Amino acid sequence: MRIELQHVSKTFQHNGQPVEVLRDVSMVIEEGEFVSVLGPTGCGKSTLVHLVAGLEFPDGGRVLVNGKPVEGPGPRRAVVFQEAALFPWLTVLGNVEFGLRMAKMPKAERRTEATAYIKLVHLSKFAHAYPHQLSGGMKQRVAIARALAMQPELLLMDEPLGALDAQTRMVLQGELLEIWQRTKCSVLFVTHNVREATGLADRVYLMSSRPGRIKDVESIGVPRPRHAENPVLLACQRKIISLLGDEIAKVMQEELGETIDVRETDAGRSAPDRSLGMHI
Amino acid sequence: MQAVLLLIGLWACTSKLFPAWPGPFAVWRVLVENAVDPAFQAALLGSARRMLIGYSLVVVVGIGFGLLLGRIPLLDQVLGSFAVAIHAIPGAAWVPLSIIWFGMTERAVIFTILLGASGIVMVNTDTGIRDVPPLIKRAARTMGARGVNYFWFVIVPAAIPKMVDGLRLAWAFGWRALMAGELLTSVNGLGQRLNMVAKAQQLDQLLALMLLIAGIGIAIDGLIFKRLEHAVRVRWGLA
Repeated sequence: MRIELQHVSKTFQHNGQPVEVLRDVSMVIEEGEFVSVLGPTGCGKSTLVHLVAGLEFPDGGRVLVNGKPVEGPGPRRAVVFQEAALFPWLTVLGNVEFGLRMAKMPKAERRTEATAYIKLVHLSKFAHAYPHQLSGGMKQRVAIARALAMQPELLLMDEPLGALDAQTRMVLQGELLEIWQRTKCSVLFVTHNVREATGLADRVYLMSSRPGRIKDVESIGVPRPRHAENPVLLACQRKIISLLGDEIAKVMQEELGETIDVRETDAGRSAPDRSLGMHI
Repeated sequence: MQAVLLLIGLWACTSKLFPAWPGPFAVWRVLVENAVDPAFQAALLGSARRMLIGYSLVVVVGIGFGLLLGRIPLLDQVLGSFAVAIHAIPGAAWVPLSIIWFGMTERAVIFTILLGASGIVMVNTDTGIRDVPPLIKRAARTMGARGVNYFWFVIVPAAIPKMVDGLRLAWAFGWRALMAGELLTSVNGLGQRLNMVAKAQQLDQLLALMLLIAGIGIAIDGLIFKRLEHAVRVRWGLA
């Protein structure tokens, strides 16, 4: 599935005031490509995902799926949300089956399908557990299985690993790449973690905030599996951080009313200090 | 438990000071006598039957109307305030109208329960549907849920915790409405017996009855509704 955004803009009303969330955003996700969008809080990343998913519509510009404007949500475009968004009244199996049930797949067939995807994310033992019995990482695995079960051509991921601890995050990143290489679907992966974006994606779009705009595009030519110490990768990360440093400072100033020069503080030094995960 | 024993102790002391005021042992004796008295059993069973029928109607009508209001925004605008108004009227205030429509009959009592308790179920079902988290709605839509399926398999289950809250309150309101209805219609039941023993100035009987009414109310709430509410809150991740 090929996705193209042409000069997309979006404005929301917030307490009667118009807030410009996206301004003139253009980007492309080629068939089978893994694209990451990287930007600070409030840069409209989630809005971008909603637009491609068909949950929102642009005020200006066009969102094209295989050349046709998006008219609404479709199961070929599956979404994994940051907060998993599982249905608490259904078991893991019920959650993974849900999309197939909506697609009117016969019961026996969808059970087999769902079971296979639950196995893929290593949750076979928990197929009959309810979401409240699962850890954050397990919930996110279910959300991924649920999305994959619909055999999507595009996987939209809105900071899917953002709420997880570092170890779980790393394991899931690896599994996600494996799954992507096997399924060959396109992926739009939104994150505010520099290392995550550069470690996973073929291409990284850098966004600035308020209003969200595309600031730069970086192609990551490093072959997978990527080693964290790869010098090309590190150079790329350093470049991104210096580019986005101004943005972080801007957000800080707006939110905290303080002037912080990020390049002088943690983020500027964090290229070698990867224990921080380089969140921006 | 200690608090209850202390209370009974105090009660026993006061009854020693005021001989006209029956003590806990006298009242306990009445309770035991009543338990084996066929006339009393008939009254208890009558009340239980009316409550069962009335509450079943409350569940069906309350949830039914609540779902309609939640599903059809136009209907909600027209009749939403109507449901709130029904909910604002205490059960006892429905008794006169019930008697005019149904006479001094069992039906009047059941009608009182229905109107005294279904308002809260309607209102809670409606607001439960309205307050479904946007994230759940978005997730459902991206998985192809639409129309009737979307409503039935996403919105309704997502609204269940709020509905259960309403059903628990409706039990308490219904129980009050039952007593008011029986008291005023003289249909054979616990409420009517309240009236009877009060007129005969049988204070021990009256206290025994009131204790029984409180006990049943607390027991059903604790054994059924509290547990149900807790189970739902745990499953929905709200506890």
